[in-house]
Amino acid sequence: MFTNRFIKIFLFLFLFGGLAPLSFAQQNAQALFDNANELLQEGSYQQAISSYQNLEDGNTVSGALFLNMGISYQRIDSLGKAKYYFLKASQFEETEEQAHQALEFVESQFSRQSAVLPKLPWDIATDWLKEHIGAKNILLIGIITLNIGVFIFITHWFLQMYPKVLRIGGFSLIAAALLIIAISFYTQYINERYSKAVMVTEKVSVLEEPTEEAPIVSRAYEGYTFTIDHRQNKSQQDWSYVRMRNGLYGWIPNNEILIL
Amino acid sequence: MRKIGKPLYTIGFFLVFVLLGSSFSWAQSDVSVEASLSQTTVYTGERVNLSIEISGNFNNVSRPDLPQFEKFRLLSNNPSTSRSYRYVNGQSTVSYTYSYYLIAQKKGEFQLPAVSVSIDGETYSTDPIRVNVIDRNESATSDDSSERPDIFLQVEVSDKQPVTGQQIITDVILYFRNGLEVNSYQPVPGWKAEGFWKEELKNSERPRAESTILDGVRYRKARLLQFSLFPTKSGELEISPYKIVVAVRSARSGNDPFSSFFSGFGSNQREVELSSDPITIDVQSLSSTDNANYLGAVGDFDISRSISTTNTLVGESIEIETRVRGSGNIPLISKPNYNLPKGIEIYEPQENTRLDRSNSTISGSKSFTDIIIARSPGNYTIPEKTVSYYNPSRDQFITTTLEALTFSVDENPEAIAASESSGQFPVSPITGLASWITISSEPTDLLGIWWFWAGLIIPLIIAGAAYWRKSYVQKMQTDTAFARSVKASDKAQQRLENAIEVSKQGDIKQAYNLLQKAITGFISDRLNMPEAGLSNQDYIEALKEQDIEENLVKNVRMLLDKCASISYAPNTTHAYLKSHVGLAESTLEKLQKVL
Repeated sequence: MFTNRFIKIFLFLFLFGGLAPLSFAQQNAQALFDNANELLQEGSYQQAISSYQNLEDGNTVSGALFLNMGISYQRIDSLGKAKYYFLKASQFEETEEQAHQALEFVESQFSRQSAVLPKLPWDIATDWLKEHIGAKNILLIGIITLNIGVFIFITHWFLQMYPKVLRIGGFSLIAAALLIIAISFYTQYINERYSKAVMVTEKVSVLEEPTEEAPIVSRAYEGYTFTIDHRQNKSQQDWSYVRMRNGLYGWIPNNEILIL
Repeated sequence: MRKIGKPLYTIGFFLVFVLLGSSFSWAQSDVSVEASLSQTTVYTGERVNLSIEISGNFNNVSRPDLPQFEKFRLLSNNPSTSRSYRYVNGQSTVSYTYSYYLIAQKKGEFQLPAVSVSIDGETYSTDPIRVNVIDRNESATSDDSSERPDIFLQVEVSDKQPVTGQQIITDVILYFRNGLEVNSYQPVPGWKAEGFWKEELKNSERPRAESTILDGVRYRKARLLQFSLFPTKSGELEISPYKIVVAVRSARSGNDPFSSFFSGFGSNQREVELSSDPITIDVQSLSSTDNANYLGAVGDFDISRSISTTNTLVGESIEIETRVRGSGNIPLISKPNYNLPKGIEIYEPQENTRLDRSNSTISGSKSFTDIIIARSPGNYTIPEKTVSYYNPSRDQFITTTLEALTFSVDENPEAIAASESSGQFPVSPITGLASWITISSEPTDLLGIWWFWAGLIIPLIIAGAAYWRKSYVQKMQTDTAFARSVKASDKAQQRLENAIEVSKQGDIKQAYNLLQKAITGFISDRLNMPEAGLSNQDYIEALKEQDIEENLVKNVRMLLDKCASISYAPNTTHAYLKSHVGLAESTLEKLQKVL
């Protein structure tokens, strides 16, 4: 009797102590989100943004949060930030479609559009892998394939049936697995080295060097997207080395952009 | 009903009359009385001229009431007078000048007391004048007098130990002896003051020569140019020599201190290039890093901030103007940074600098205009801001707090109409339950994932073990000697068990035959010897070649001899054989270890 009661108390404490904080955090996030939504519907856009921002700062996020933040910024005509949050919302399955619609609208509102240099096929493939599968999942696929390949390759040593098929099949799977693992590491490297960023201020000069006096490479305007090279940024606190969509490279102050 | 028109007209006329009358009286009171000495450095016994100039619009003026001059003797109470009259823009100005001659009697630094004059019943006083009287006999013995040239240029600074950014007034002064007349001068371009920001000051008056005495020698000096220098860094900075080209000639009457500085051209004229000595300035650094609100301003300033409007519409611009007025390093002042509330967009600020180079100092104002636009309606407050500048005369940072600015922003009806007319935004906010995730700010390290290493190491181990097994099986199939060696023990054991079984059935002879085969078969399998055709002695010899323990070889020989001789021992029992099988088992076990 005592043992059963003790087990019940232990299980209750375990569940309450272990899972309750997570549940409370999500409930709290939902409550804040609801309040912010009310402010948004009342037209208090600035207050709504502040509330949404608190949620984002607490690292508890959702596609709906980013979509509503984008809508709030769109309402106050801060289209650069609106684009930034719609891009974030598009990374969530539940808001992907709406975010793309909103992005299409916001893009049409910018007075200046950047010339776009087509991406290389390899870059397109890497971006697709990064956004749709993720380096960790690719690595998992590679490891599973490797184990299957090793198993099949070993089998041909002991089974007399189809030894050639087993040998070539196993070897091919091992080779494919190693390639997949290499791709996962490359994807991770690209993911950590490069980020997408959106310009959120009206206008800024892209410079050759990270100083105000450096020659101008190009001008960038609100809503322009860049690829940030974090490896180049290591020595600079306040500047980011960017690749513009027209293929030009240069430096831009960090306070002009938001990094995805 | 009373009429009030007339009394009001009466009061109005009275006020106009009073104001006109007062302005007239102010115009009358615009009188100046100034006293000047022909020289402020004189020898004992030398005569100097004291001039008292009264100018303005007045009717009656009395003769100056001279005080008692203790260190000077007045030559005559009757002054020489001169009078001039000017009429400009309907205003008449009269100027009277009274000139007295004084003789310096005692050496030392003195102050000539003020002189008072009664003008239209009111008493006016001049400012006291400082004068230095030098003993002629003492100064004549000075050795330095012979080292100075007849004409030289000197740069004089107001402060040789300023702080960074402090204004230093720098005079370019020409000294020349009596007897020389300077007709003109021309600065040589390219004067450098590295480490300083410099501004030339305006001099409305032409240079005037004043008499002075340097180490007992009378010189005349004239300030040709004046600059403001602002050190931009700390440490020892050098002001390079200033160069001018002057046209000089020997004058006929060089002792006349009242002669014009720029005399007419003469036949003895020649051009001389003069250069001043370099000056080293020790600039002290300001501990501005301790003062986060420091604007880089050094001088005496008044700092203020204002907003263009306190009520505006969404999308309309508001200007926040920050003004810094005073004297000092105005162009070097930086803009204070304000913490703007969220929802405010700020545009590139505008700067406007106005410098005044007159009055022997750089003064003026600098204004920074921040243009901001509110993107949503509401009440906004720009919090108060503390700024500071350094005042060198007080040797301290002066802190000023700019008051908070509050403004309200209303919805812009035009903007609403525009947004409604083009309101095709295709997405509505999502309300209700959302799917929340907690994101980690730390990047994923693939090499730190445990299943990555497990997934690599486990197949490697399995592959290694499988390869070993595959190699073993292959060797067993292809290498007869290896296969016999591996199977020798089992084969021998099987033969021994058969021997016991046969013995139980009563066939002792056959049992010993199996025992012998078990022993010889084990040795031949382990040593890869032929399976048949060998004698017992061959096996013993083979064991000896393997350097095996002698007792073990002796046991093998004994067992083989027993198996060979058993045919001649008809009384042998099953138990006897069993003991030999036991011995054979232990012997083969030992042999397996060494073969």
